Amino acid sequence: MRALAFHRAGDVADAQRLAAEHADAMYLAGGTNLVDLMKLGVARPSLLIDITGLGMDEIDHRADGSVSIGALVRNAPLAGDPQVRERFPVLAQALLAGASGQLRSVASTAGNLLQRTRCVYFQDTTKPCNKRAPGSGCAAIDGAHRELALLGTSEHCVASHPSDMAVALVALDAIVDVLRTGGDIDEMLVEELYREPGSSPERETVLSSGDLITAVRLPAPPVGARMAYRKVRDRRSYAFALVSVAVLVVADEDGRIRDLRLGFGGVATRPWRARTAEAQLTGTRPSPQAIESAVGAEFAAARPLPGNAFKVELMADTVTAVLGELLAGDAR
Amino acid sequence: MLAEARRGWPSHVSPDVGRGIIGPAELDPTEVAERMSGNLCRCGAYRGIVDAVLEAAEAPARDPFPELAGS
Repeated sequence: MRALAFHRAGDVADAQRLAAEHADAMYLAGGTNLVDLMKLGVARPSLLIDITGLGMDEIDHRADGSVSIGALVRNAPLAGDPQVRERFPVLAQALLAGASGQLRSVASTAGNLLQRTRCVYFQDTTKPCNKRAPGSGCAAIDGAHRELALLGTSEHCVASHPSDMAVALVALDAIVDVLRTGGDIDEMLVEELYREPGSSPERETVLSSGDLITAVRLPAPPVGARMAYRKVRDRRSYAFALVSVAVLVVADEDGRIRDLRLGFGGVATRPWRARTAEAQLTGTRPSPQAIESAVGAEFAAARPLPGNAFKVELMADTVTAVLGELLAGDAR
Repeated sequence: MLAEARRGWPSHVSPDVGRGIIGPAELDPTEVAERMSGNLCRCGAYRGIVDAVLEAAEAPARDPFPELAGS
């Protein structure tokens, strides 16, 4: 039995002061991932700071077409929000593709971003894992790879980022507001929130202890943008992605792509913005072969493992299908 | 789950997330199975449960404790 202190934060300053005082304190919002990890012995905070009383739970649609999503907005009401569904359908679709109804009704926006990998070796404390126990090695690289990453990996870690929502957010150029300990507010692209594992896979984000995500902001989508999220998985529901893609495209009437944004999930150590593929396809009227080639170029620097090399072709097929449907105007 | 559908919230299998914003979401066996998926236990989307959920969705809201009405 481990001693655990619990504190319900009264305000943001209270939460951050406590976090600064306790090196192994953790913020608790929905708890859908953290509580599981505590039961498994993977997360071992000595203090939980409950931040659910701090507000930050509103969806604010602004006159300029942008929207600010409070860090504590739950996944279910965000996916159900009429204006999110109408104007940012890729986000609603990604949310609805994730977890289960019960989990979505509790899980928070910021918690979704900061959820940990579901790499089975990370979650099993009897196995070496550089992310859980730095320097202990990686059981995954010689293990089962089907769920694991091939982009952004290193010889120390191949854990995939599990979020569906974050894949849509990188395609939407979403911005995260971070309240640093000390009161400064930094804003960064969701893409910039994450670090690649390199030689320190235990450091997953650019956040420091005590930093608090307060909101996620979506800029107004480009005029004429069509967007969709598609997730391919082993089970029809309640499973993590083998591959997933968030596509946002603006095209001329003749199908020539003027603006393209691709988010890849299930294949990378962080929500992956596929800028190489985007650049190769922008300005063209791509054939399926051209899309396949562009996705191939995105994976040029990948480190495929025997158990996940199939994802390159699966991703190419998925992007081809979704982009084709969007360009034909019948994607949903 | 029924309250979410009445609110018009879509699910992963809804044909168009942007549709149905005005009225309640339409439920059929596929919708119910998806919405019940992962709900405490895998049997939550079994056929008998799906049928029962659809039946409950059709029925007028019933007071399970009529003897307490008005108290």
